[in-house]
Amino acid sequence: MTADPNALGRYARQVVFEGVGREGQRRLGESRVVLVGCGALGTVLANMLARAGVGFLRIVDRDYVELTNLQRQVLFDEQDARDGVPKATAAIEKLKGINSDIQYEAVVADFGPENAESLIADCDLSLDGTDNLETRYVLNDACVKLGKPWVYAAAVAGYGTFMPIIPGETACLRCVFPDEPEVGSIDTCDTTGVLGPMPGIIANFAAIEALKLLMGVHDRLNRGLTWVDCWYNSTQRTPVETPAPDCLSCQQRIFEYLERPVWRRAAALCGRDAVQVRPSNTVELDLPALARRLLVVGEVRQGPQMVRLTAPPHELTIFRDGRAIIKGTAEVSVARSLYARYVGT
Amino acid sequence: MSVRVRIPAPLRAVTAGESEVSVGAENIDGVLAELEARFPAIRQRLRDDEGALRRFVNLYVNGEDVRFLQGLQTGVKSGDEVSIIPAVAGGC
Repeated sequence: MTADPNALGRYARQVVFEGVGREGQRRLGESRVVLVGCGALGTVLANMLARAGVGFLRIVDRDYVELTNLQRQVLFDEQDARDGVPKATAAIEKLKGINSDIQYEAVVADFGPENAESLIADCDLSLDGTDNLETRYVLNDACVKLGKPWVYAAAVAGYGTFMPIIPGETACLRCVFPDEPEVGSIDTCDTTGVLGPMPGIIANFAAIEALKLLMGVHDRLNRGLTWVDCWYNSTQRTPVETPAPDCLSCQQRIFEYLERPVWRRAAALCGRDAVQVRPSNTVELDLPALARRLLVVGEVRQGPQMVRLTAPPHELTIFRDGRAIIKGTAEVSVARSLYARYVGT
Repeated sequence: MSVRVRIPAPLRAVTAGESEVSVGAENIDGVLAELEARFPAIRQRLRDDEGALRRFVNLYVNGEDVRFLQGLQTGVKSGDEVSIIPAVAGGC
């Protein structure tokens, strides 16, 4: 990297910074990062890490771009929303124009127990751009199991929180929050809304921690759980720095969230009136056949990755891997039933 | 003098918007009892049906998690600060 004067030129402002230098930049350039979730947090994380010059960036996201995303998801535009492009693909198209030196990989899939380990195993760091806690517990278990650092980040309404996690060294997510909140018991973008800059602020905090982790500057880590409230104007750092002695994940090494029974097949999606349903087995749908079958039900649009059925008041987007995002309901049971009717079980 | 309890934004819906509450209890159980007397709806957010602390909302006394102290029996004294920090899920 240092041999290429143009590469250094691009990164000049951060190489000059005392905490980075040529060695830090070299390390960033050799690093491999996986981003799980590419929404409000994820687009900002991806943007900053691509600009900072990581070597490889994998973006995993199950969703597609919609107009209501544009208020805060900084890598997407109106054309992406009109085309309903998968977020991972749309983000990488933008990032290629920002930094073409990086190797990118888009994974249009749900991050879950069946693929978590393989998606993080060849990376140095995992980043949290997810929109629910269940996926974060999967990510935590996978990272702890493989000994990979990650950065917890979450934001809603006008507040958010983040915590860098190094398995075996710092507390992990389950040390701090041993149980997942019950469904419907905490704020989501649906019920509470979100101010656009808030996830951006948290994601930028998380991005700084990511750079420290990738450069190996662990003594500068912002350890513990930091709470930032930009509406009521307070910040608070909770020094939960060491593992909980009884932690199921990082101390007992029982990875409940990597076991299938814990994982739900259908989950309401944060941020809108929608539910995602996943097949319990690995499938590969014949999309053209499905599209033809659905013509009698409503308006059908077919893309390379998905079939979209509009049957008011519902809209089903069905992906090749059998996942479906069902809009127009927040009821898991209604979504399951629509899935069964239109996709089949 | 009393114990200050900091209420995070997501719980202010059940504390009539109060961001900080002063209580005169001697332990965490007493702190919660006073909060619950003033704001009954907060109980369900902090405790399960058996009255135990929920494991996705943390209580800290001067920055120390009460789970690693004496839980509900953790003592508090005048001038202490109790923080409530819940798990956050959003990101979309």
